[in-house]
Amino acid sequence: MNQLGFKRKLGAFLLAAGMILPAFTQAEVLTYSWPTNAGPLDPRGYSPNQMYAQAMVYEPLVRYRADGSVEPWLATHWDISPDGLIYTFTLRDGVRFSDGSVFDADAAKTNIEAVMANRKRHAWMELVETIDHVETPDANTLRLILKHPYYPTLLELAQVRPLRFAAPDAQPGRPVGTGPWQLVESRRGEFDRFARNPYYWGPRPVYDEVLVKVIPDPSSRAIALETGQLDLIQGSEGEVSADTFERLKGKGYHTAISAPLATRVIALNSNLAPTNELAVRQAINWAVNKDAIVKHVLYDLEPRADALFSTNLPYTDIGLKPYDYSPDKAREALEQAGWVLKSGEKIRYKNGQPLRLELCFYGANALQKSVAEVVQANLGSLGFDVVLKGEDEGALVERQRDGRFGMIFAETWGAPYDPHSFVSSMRYAGHADYQAQKGLPMKAMIDQEIGEVLASVDEDKRQTLYRHLLTTLHEQAVYLPISYLTATSVSRDSVENVQFGSTLFDVPFEVMKPAGN
Amino acid sequence: MLRYIAYRLALLIPILLAVSLLVFVLLHMGRGDPALDYLRLSQIPPTDAALAEARHTLGLDRPLAEQYLVWLWRALHLDFGTSFVTGRPVLDDLLYYLPATLQLGGAALAVTLLVSLPLGIWAARRPGRWPDQLVRFIAFFGVSMPNFWLAFLMIALFSVLLGWLPPMGRGGLEHLVMPVLAVALMSLSINARLLRASLLEASGQRYVLYARLRGLPEGQVWRRHILRNAWLPVVTAIGMHVGELIGGTLVIETIFAWPGLGRFAVSAVYNRDFPVLQCFTLLMTGLFVFCNLIVDVLYAWLDPRTRLEGAQVC
Repeated sequence: MNQLGFKRKLGAFLLAAGMILPAFTQAEVLTYSWPTNAGPLDPRGYSPNQMYAQAMVYEPLVRYRADGSVEPWLATHWDISPDGLIYTFTLRDGVRFSDGSVFDADAAKTNIEAVMANRKRHAWMELVETIDHVETPDANTLRLILKHPYYPTLLELAQVRPLRFAAPDAQPGRPVGTGPWQLVESRRGEFDRFARNPYYWGPRPVYDEVLVKVIPDPSSRAIALETGQLDLIQGSEGEVSADTFERLKGKGYHTAISAPLATRVIALNSNLAPTNELAVRQAINWAVNKDAIVKHVLYDLEPRADALFSTNLPYTDIGLKPYDYSPDKAREALEQAGWVLKSGEKIRYKNGQPLRLELCFYGANALQKSVAEVVQANLGSLGFDVVLKGEDEGALVERQRDGRFGMIFAETWGAPYDPHSFVSSMRYAGHADYQAQKGLPMKAMIDQEIGEVLASVDEDKRQTLYRHLLTTLHEQAVYLPISYLTATSVSRDSVENVQFGSTLFDVPFEVMKPAGN
Repeated sequence: MLRYIAYRLALLIPILLAVSLLVFVLLHMGRGDPALDYLRLSQIPPTDAALAEARHTLGLDRPLAEQYLVWLWRALHLDFGTSFVTGRPVLDDLLYYLPATLQLGGAALAVTLLVSLPLGIWAARRPGRWPDQLVRFIAFFGVSMPNFWLAFLMIALFSVLLGWLPPMGRGGLEHLVMPVLAVALMSLSINARLLRASLLEASGQRYVLYARLRGLPEGQVWRRHILRNAWLPVVTAIGMHVGELIGGTLVIETIFAWPGLGRFAVSAVYNRDFPVLQCFTLLMTGLFVFCNLIVDVLYAWLDPRTRLEGAQVC
């Protein structure tokens, strides 16, 4: 009887399971991973708030596009006053926060004023310092009044933080935004679960949920993908290593490399011998075999960089002539500048001084070390004596601050900071760029032009200024561009339409689809 | 005995104090700057102003001695500060992750004992014969194999190739198998060999010979005369293994995405999360000292000779 009872129970269970299971399997979940939890998701908070997650939950007035322009988002239209001081935005109708409350001019104003109340914290973003006050003529119109003209205003409004919008009446600590997703569950050290925002104004995401598992180790992440625990790996900070990327590609997983998002460069110090000579800086640019670096060190994951900024960024497609790999040209330039290699010697000398310089890099970064070794070998074959200095980050920052480097590794800040924020920082001591440019005879003019370009309200004038500025830096060879940083993605068959965000910091889950959908 | 335990617990105070000072000094001797890490994690361009603001927010702009004293004063009130990275109270985070680590470490300790004891006895009963050789091979393998490497090999075989076990996360028993084996193998190997040596030494003693001469059954000789005496070094070793197992979880938790203390601490090392590292070291020191205290008490209970000595010391 017992057995019969068990069979009946089993039958009933299977029947019930059969009815319930389809309901479960219908929920489409995209699994992704991140090294840490998403954080409390304060729209204006920095670490531990993760930007990919803030970008899922909170939306900007205008959105950054991959070509460097902005498109309407929570604002459908905007006008800029001729003097560049007043930005008037028409807000999108029918936008609601994920708790059902309405997004209007007052909600937007509350958020922007919350940022302004904490200016010091957000001082790195020039716009925060530049906004004088906010006006709301009506429920659908928002007006920003600036202290002085600042052309990157729209670009900075597009950034993931701090100028995005949370529901002003949400309970403290509860993340409520207008974005396609809402955070519904978070388990420390394990996962964060995002569900669709039922009130979302835009196209409904196809996935019901995005489950983000906490996996700090890149090897473990790759294994998770291979064993079906993850659908997608995507990121720009080594979320998957170059050789693992190749291996997974070879195994038939879908792989993709994004358009250039930032630049890996080596800054050359124009204020310190021997790189204070233009001929030496140019020779370095001709002497380094970037193609070999890209192929053997970067496994072709990053394209070769020929200029400080990639041409897909605004104002940077100005036809700069690349320094081609040409040891002969480099040798000739050095000879003409008086750097002589005596027979039987390995190092060039000029007036009794050796052609010696330090190349400083972050010692724990294996990739920088490999690149540094190639540079050392390339330059060494031409009579340079390159001393490699692998140090910790703090030591490197000190070197950047006081200019104690011959060559030093750097990265541009990437979209949407490039070129305007990066160029802006060149004016401040404490940056490698400032120190590298300090010895240029036209440094004062460069700094002045940067100030002018940021305040310029005339598009043509801005392009002219950028052209002059970037051409000068290029011709003065204060940078040795190596490659353009990219984001990479590896995905299983289970997910389709995998795309990259337009910046280093967002992943467009809302456009991804389950296979066969 | 109670006085002895109280004495040992009281000793914990200077130990913890010394460890906290040592860790504080070591952390600040490194040239890395937590403020810089904070900015990196926040994706804030490291301008001078941003660095100064971050140092201020994190309390790093005060003199070192003051930083330590403030930390110490708060620590005495069980306030170990706020994590630079998670923004939560450090103790809250550590206690949250502690159970997962205790589960992993406890299971590993249990496996160590359950497997090494039979193996050690088996090898000692047949010295030089094939069981002994087999145990020796297992022990060599276990001691020579770095635990993270074993972890990856197991994942490659059982998760990727065969699909039997989940490669990560915390859940049912199946999640526990590989991490526990990876953590336990080394302690298990050492323990088996130690027990074997200890058993063989004890079985060569005169009292064993006399026991046999008295005509005691072989089983009884082993149980009452050899095993009881051979226990002692093994019990001491187990105290050491606790440290080894906790150390093992540091790396293994990261590989298996096990949401425990070890993984949290490894992230804290990467990000120079000083408050977390300070508190973590103290917690681990306390745990280690406490486990050794238990072992010592156990030792005294097992061996009347040390009990007498202990009583005299007290």
